[in-house]
Amino acid sequence: MSNLDKYQKVFKESFQYEGDLEQLAYQGITEWDSVGHMQLMAALEDMFGIELDVDDIIDFSSFKKGITILAKYNVAI
Amino acid sequence: MTEALHFDINGIKECQRNRHPLLFVDRVYDVVPGEKASGLKCFTYNEWFFPAHFDDEPNVPGFIQVESLVQTFIMTFLSKDELKGKKTNFLGINNVKFKRKIVPGDTLIVHATLQSYRRGIATGSAVSFVGDEPACSADFVVAVPDVLDQFKPKSAP
Repeated sequence: MSNLDKYQKVFKESFQYEGDLEQLAYQGITEWDSVGHMQLMAALEDMFGIELDVDDIIDFSSFKKGITILAKYNVAI
Repeated sequence: MTEALHFDINGIKECQRNRHPLLFVDRVYDVVPGEKASGLKCFTYNEWFFPAHFDDEPNVPGFIQVESLVQTFIMTFLSKDELKGKKTNFLGINNVKFKRKIVPGDTLIVHATLQSYRRGIATGSAVSFVGDEPACSADFVVAVPDVLDQFKPKSAP
């Protein structure tokens, strides 16, 4: 499974969402609220074996933005 | 090895924000912050709900049993210095089971375990007994809003 597959899988499972992930952003669906955000961050950390910094968790505002943030942790999507 | 902590009613009130008439744990003991806690609640007929539930057969309502469980559970993390006095909210309750009626004169013993605590979200479980008899149990997901809010994105892009 590629990193992109893993990344998409985390979003789909965290939010039970099957729509267009490319356009997905914080508060764009009801499931991605503050609680959903923490569950998403925890799932990404578990999936990629990383620990996200606080600033990156706060900046993680969309599916696309997350890709650039994960690159800082040597996770190429 | 860390020595387990014990809290009397004043110590409990320093850790959590629940108050009479909705505080349903009298003593908390064997606390290892970040891991586990045990609690004790003595139910007497002077409890405000017994005359109403029910006048001819007083027993502890289920939601109060769940409160006893979760109020012991939150002590597993609110006993940490940096979290003392924070408010908590339910995010989820699962696998709730009631196995025994609790009546005036019963003492409920609760054993709670913290499975994980990350950035304001705690997950874990609690089981309870009256004597050796299982009483009720549940799994919990609880939020600490003050902490959770520190990590949410400022706004949508």
